[in-house]
Amino acid sequence: MSVIAPKFRLGYFLKGIFDNAFWILTLVTLAGIPTIQIALFLIPLPVINGQLLTAYLAFTWLFNPTMQIPLIKALLYSDLFRIAAFPGFGFAALIAAGTIFVERKMLAKLQLRVGPFYCGKIEGILQLVADGLKLISKEIIIPAKADKPLFWAAPVLFVGTAAAFVALIPVAPGGWVVADLDVGLLAVFAVIGFFPIITILSAWSANSKFPFIGGIRALHQMVSFEIPLILSLLGVVILTGTLNLSEIVESQSSFPWIIFMPIGAIVFFITVLAELERIPFDLPEAESEIVAGWLTEFSGMIYGLVQLGSYLKLYAFAALFVIIFLGGWTGPVFWPPLDVELITEGIPIPNYVGDPILTVTTPGLPLLDKDPNEWVMQQQGELVYTSGQLLVSGVIWFVLKTVGVIFFILLPRGVFPRIRLDMLLHIGWYKLIGLSFVNIFIALGLVYAGVIGPGGIL
Amino acid sequence: MADALFLAISILTIGSAIAALEMRSLVYGSIALMGTLGGIAGFYVMLDSTFVAMFQLAVYVGSIAVLILFTVMLVKRELIFKKIEDPKRKFAGIGLMLIVILALGAIIMDSGIKTITTDSDPVDFREIGGDFLTYYWPALILMALILAGSVMGALVLARREDTVENEQ
Repeated sequence: MSVIAPKFRLGYFLKGIFDNAFWILTLVTLAGIPTIQIALFLIPLPVINGQLLTAYLAFTWLFNPTMQIPLIKALLYSDLFRIAAFPGFGFAALIAAGTIFVERKMLAKLQLRVGPFYCGKIEGILQLVADGLKLISKEIIIPAKADKPLFWAAPVLFVGTAAAFVALIPVAPGGWVVADLDVGLLAVFAVIGFFPIITILSAWSANSKFPFIGGIRALHQMVSFEIPLILSLLGVVILTGTLNLSEIVESQSSFPWIIFMPIGAIVFFITVLAELERIPFDLPEAESEIVAGWLTEFSGMIYGLVQLGSYLKLYAFAALFVIIFLGGWTGPVFWPPLDVELITEGIPIPNYVGDPILTVTTPGLPLLDKDPNEWVMQQQGELVYTSGQLLVSGVIWFVLKTVGVIFFILLPRGVFPRIRLDMLLHIGWYKLIGLSFVNIFIALGLVYAGVIGPGGIL
Repeated sequence: MADALFLAISILTIGSAIAALEMRSLVYGSIALMGTLGGIAGFYVMLDSTFVAMFQLAVYVGSIAVLILFTVMLVKRELIFKKIEDPKRKFAGIGLMLIVILALGAIIMDSGIKTITTDSDPVDFREIGGDFLTYYWPALILMALILAGSVMGALVLARREDTVENEQ
């Protein structure tokens, strides 16, 4: 039986702890505190209750229960929160992590296996944490003749591009999106175009034959499936007359576009499978032919970054499908407040001395509403931002639909075998492009027949 | 802020253009070319025409650069570059380019472009689309025909002779 630390002595242990504490204190004093002070000069601080929030005030209010909610509200409406946490990276990474776990368990159930089982008490739920720790702590091995700068840069660029894609996805009504562009869909096409470049660069930089073959396959596949991907979304653009993703969602308040554009939805779904390199289109990572494709030489956290990026990409594509074809966050509002007239006009009470009209205020969600009657103001169009109740119900619907689409993206992995390269290119160049043109003609027909569009029946 | 951004994008664009020409490694040269094309997209964003900028990114950085990379990676670079470098030629080239740029800039600056001040809104891309469908429709039809012809040509060229395989 081996001993973990044969020369363990309490003195060395304490010395190690004290050394670490000493260096942390020194670094914080010399570098950390000056950095924070310089950063505080540059950050525009919010005004809460007529007071400019300073660092002292923030620390004081943290322990004052009445001031905590305004403080948290100011944080919720800041740009940093949007980028790092809610509609941006943190939210997407959470869904991506859930996707990895669900994928493993679901595939196991499909194939009558058990899947991750031993980490954590319930169904191996801590397996993700274990895998993440393993990836972080493993050594990063770089091939001897690799092109080092590109080899290091490619995974970081991959995650960065995936995060840029996530930043374009609107999650809830009222501008809950990191970058609300007027040409959002075109920006999505531009961002998608970066993935083949990064793939082929990382494949080339490894200077190894399997990554290079995988990279060339990925390039073929992504470039040829980008065309039907773009064409299949143009039908919806013709019907809505806008490229802004939030406006595309708001145009589906009564019915989702998948009712009129089923062909476009199917073509888009197949191209998404190909762009994500999922089975049955996983030729770039075909493990029975070319080891692991363009991921072969990656190890440690570099591999982890590529996996994180690809699952962020999966979330973003599923969210794009939801936004364009399934109506995004639209759905019934959970616990809607009282009637609008009851709040704005009230019920007249006969024979009452004093104020003869009974009005009601319905406090919404205290953390997310700025004003108690926000839902009513939202209904009457007096409010630019969204109220807390619409936010919560919108996020719930969006997440439910996105999780459903992710499930259908994962499902073929347990069902279908990998297809041949020539069949893949045949599908992409002949069938999908033709079908997406059919979809565009259906959209044009609907517009010119006066069914949908400006001045249409619906 | 806008001036600093303009300077940064200019340095990126011109610097990566020089790098694209002068780098010995073809792959790094094409990456630098991507930097140039992306910098031009940055200029479009600064000029309030996001629509053109996105097309610049999607078409030039996303497709043309991929084609160049793809071609470059299939080339054995040792066979091409065995020439002994002549540093004078290099510096003469850079100098010539800078002179041309400065001369063009001086001509543009001298043409009275500085005195133009406009507060009008940037042109909406919907207006561009409307113009294309009304006044410039022959050009649009011509472009569509050329594109359709080239796509069909590509399909015909990429067609496989499957019949021979089936007979075997």
